This record gives sequence, C-alpha cells and structure tokens, in this order.
Amino acid sequence: MILSVDRLNLSFEDKSGRRKILDDVSFSIEEGEIVGIVGLSGAGKTSLLRTLNLLQPVDSGSIMFDGQNIVGLNESKVRSIRKKIGVVFQSYNLFRYRTVYQNIAFPLKIQGIGKGKIRERVMSIVSELGLDHRLSAYPSQLSGGEQQRAAIARALVMDPKLILLDEPTSALDPRTTGRLLDLVVNLNERRSVTFAVVTHDMDVIKRTCDRVAYLQNGKLHFFGPTHEFFVKIENNEVSDFGSPLELETSVLSGQKRLLRVLFWGERTHEPVLWEIAREYDIMINILYGKIEELKNGPFGTMIIAIDGQRQDLFIEKLRDSVFFLEEVG
Amino acid sequence: MFSQIFNATLETLYMLLLSGFLATLFGIPLGVGLYLCSRSRRLKTLYALLDLLVNIFRSIPFIILVLLLIPVTKNVMGTIIGPNAAIFNLTIAAIPFMARLAENSFNAVPSGIIDSSNSMGLNKWQMVTKVLIPETLPDQIGNITVLLINLVTYTAIAGAVGAGGLGQLAINYGYYRFQWDVVLYAVIVLVAISQLLQFTGGKLAKGLRK
Repeated sequence: MILSVDRLNLSFEDKSGRRKILDDVSFSIEEGEIVGIVGLSGAGKTSLLRTLNLLQPVDSGSIMFDGQNIVGLNESKVRSIRKKIGVVFQSYNLFRYRTVYQNIAFPLKIQGIGKGKIRERVMSIVSELGLDHRLSAYPSQLSGGEQQRAAIARALVMDPKLILLDEPTSALDPRTTGRLLDLVVNLNERRSVTFAVVTHDMDVIKRTCDRVAYLQNGKLHFFGPTHEFFVKIENNEVSDFGSPLELETSVLSGQKRLLRVLFWGERTHEPVLWEIAREYDIMINILYGKIEELKNGPFGTMIIAIDGQRQDLFIEKLRDSVFFLEEVG
Repeated sequence: MFSQIFNATLETLYMLLLSGFLATLFGIPLGVGLYLCSRSRRLKTLYALLDLLVNIFRSIPFIILVLLLIPVTKNVMGTIIGPNAAIFNLTIAAIPFMARLAENSFNAVPSGIIDSSNSMGLNKWQMVTKVLIPETLPDQIGNITVLLINLVTYTAIAGAVGAGGLGQLAINYGYYRFQWDVVLYAVIVLVAISQLLQFTGGKLAKGLRK
C-alpha cells in the first residue's frame, strides 16, 4: 500500500458558517494502480487532492504515505514528502519564463543534481512523452496538450512514488484526451507509476482506473473496483454520472418478463446467453445492449425480454453465469 | 550656459541612478518581506506594522520628507546639501515605493504556480530566488522603470532644497533670475531622460516576457 487515508475531515469557515468539505473519508491506493477520485464539482475532489499533497491542512484524520503518517509533520519533513509525490495541476502551472527543458529540469536543479545527470533524465522522459522538438519553447508557445505533457514530465522527472492528476482532461479536445489517457496507462504499465486521478470524465474512469473513490458532498459513497462502480451507475445508485437507459418497459414487454443482465470480464464475449437460452428452450428478444471497454475488461449491460416454458430455471442458471441479473418492469 | 546644463544633467543622472539602484537593492527585499509576511499566519502582526510604515512613508510629500529627514541626513551623510545628501533622501522615499510595487507584482503571480512550487518541496529561499523573482522579472523591470521616472521628478524637487542638478538649475537661473530659456532646456532634458527610461524599460520588459 502506497497511500492510505483514514477518516479524513476537512471544513472551511465562510459567511454561512462552517462548511464540511471532507466528511470521514477513508480509502487507499496500492502500489502500481490507478485510482480515480470522482464526483461532481464541489464534491470535495480537488480538496482531497490538495490534502494528499499537504497543500491543505486537515481538521482530523490520518494520511499514511510510504509507511508514515504525513499529517501534522513539520515543514522540512513536509518538503521531503512532497518530493515523493508528483502533482499535475488542472492549469498545469508551468513556469512562464522558463523553457520546456528548464521547466522539466527544475525539480532536479533545486535538489542540486549535476547538469549531466539532469540532462540524461530529462531527455529520457521527453522522448517518451513526445516533447523532444519543443524543449526550447516557452509554455505560452505550447498547445494545451503539450503544456500538459510538459507538466507530466516535470512530475515524472523526480521519479515520484505517486502522481496526482487534477482534472487532466478538462481542457483537452477528444483526440488529445485519447492520447493523454494512453500515456497515463502506458506510464502506469511500463514504469509502474501509481496515479490518483481527480476527474468527472467517464472516459478517464473507463480507460484508466483500476479502482474508483466516489465522493458526494464530501462523503465517500463508494470505493472499489471500476466495474463495480459501473454496476452502481447501472443500478441507479450513482445518479451524478447519467442514469441508465429508461425503457418504456410497459410498452415494450407486453406480458413477457424483462431481465436486466450485467456482464463483466472474460464472460462478456462468450455466448453465455445463447447457450443457456438454447438449453432451456427460451426465446430471447434483446431490447437494449451495450458493452463498455473498461481498463480491466469489458463490461456489458443488456435488457432482454424472455418467452418460453422454463423461464425460472433459465433465470436461475443465467444468474450464476453473469455478473448481475435482475427482473425489471 | 550649456556647460552648466551639461553638468547639471550629469548631477541629475548621478542622483537618479544611484538612488534608483539603492532603492531597488533595498526595496525588492522589503517587497519580498511584505509578501512573505502577508502569507504567513504567524507574521500577520509584523505585516500590519510593515504595511503601516510603508503607507506612512509613501503618503508624506517628498519635500516634507526632506525637511523631516534633515537631522538624520546630517548625521548619516554629514551634510544636508548637494547630490549625496539628496541621494539619501531620494533613497528613503523610494524604498517603500519600490517595495509596494514589488509586493503587488509578487501577489499577481498565479496561485497555481505557487502551489506547484510548494508541491515540489521548495524551501522559502528557493521560493524567492527560483520562483518569485524569476516569475515577476518582466514586471519588476517595469516597476524599476516607474520608480526611476518618479525619481526624475523627485530629483528636480530635491533641487529646490539644494541638491543640485537640473532642478536646482531651473530654479536658480530660471525662476529667480527670469532666465526662462534655462527652465525650458532643463525641462527638455528631464523629459528626454524620462522618455529614454520608459523606452529602455519597456523594451527590456518586453524582451523578457514570453
């Protein structure tokens, strides 16, 4: 475990009194995984990110990082912890009057590392991130995507144990978003960089996250594997991210029974439904279906109408073979 | 007459550049101090005190400040007339001005840049020398330009109380002896100096801005 947050509380004082920003939040990040911190604006995502990096002191709770509680450390200890956590801010925050190279080299330079060694490290990272040709450009001359990659490079150069990404896709067009997500997954797989990603972008969650911490009004409403988060969405337990399809079930079904089936992992691509339907001689009418490619496997949702003699047996058998099944309508 | 104007110009430039240099040398660190104190919970009271002092010194009209400083000037410089005494007065007046300009520029650094510097584990000294100063360099050049142009006016005022330079020339020859052409030439030179400063400062700042 690289980071574990236990019963974190944070509140701000404002005109209307004390406002709770984080309410007893607990979760953890394992080495080598990507955890999504998700929720709507104002849910406390960014505050949580700031507390993880000690930019924001908390009211109570503990943050275990690299084997020690980093809440309430003195300033010089805080500084040494921060060097082990890279942050890529939403607004990138590159130094305005330093070139891309100087920006990326900066964290090493302030540690007094030799010029040759800095050069070696910077060059190995920029070639991986496709920034080689922009080294002498200033941030204002870069595109949004390039600025972000420079910021990621600046975070990577320290070889941090954990990188925090704050809303990484909020300012990117769809194509750049795609490239970024590939990059994150790539860095995660090849360099085994651990990431915590603050986001409300479903694409980010689908394509990068191993686990999801879902915040609502400062409370952690869900923490678990990404596919289980999607089950929550499909079951309408998480409404912030678009509700599942509302079918006019009464019209569609007539007297037939409707089933909602969720698949996950290997079995999604197997003809499970067909095999069992044939076995019990059941007629199936697919009313709705979709498959999402999650990072750790495909996730499918289907709504079917069934007709036949042995419906109960069919449902029982199917329930054992799929991830989730319920009768609707 | 022209040799007089030439000498007076040299005196003015001497006062201007030396007091400008000293005001920058002390004013920017004071600006850093103001900025850091204003952001520290522990040093809130110190900030309030420094802030008040800066405000007081900035609100006293320069000519009055010169009068008030007479005993101090006499003690420190050994005299109260001539360019060197004037440099002392000009510097005292200009330090708080420069400090305030510098502080405002530090405050204008995007908070994200401060956050990301903090997140890299910079200490206070690195924060000042590697982030605050470099990130405000073009603005500080602009500030120094404003300071110097203000000092052009101040040197002329100082001329009225025996500092020498173009101000004194204009008053002694032009005002007291009705040689208005001398006033005119003095003014032309002062305007030219201001223009040159503005032009150079603007070019420098623009070159640094990316």
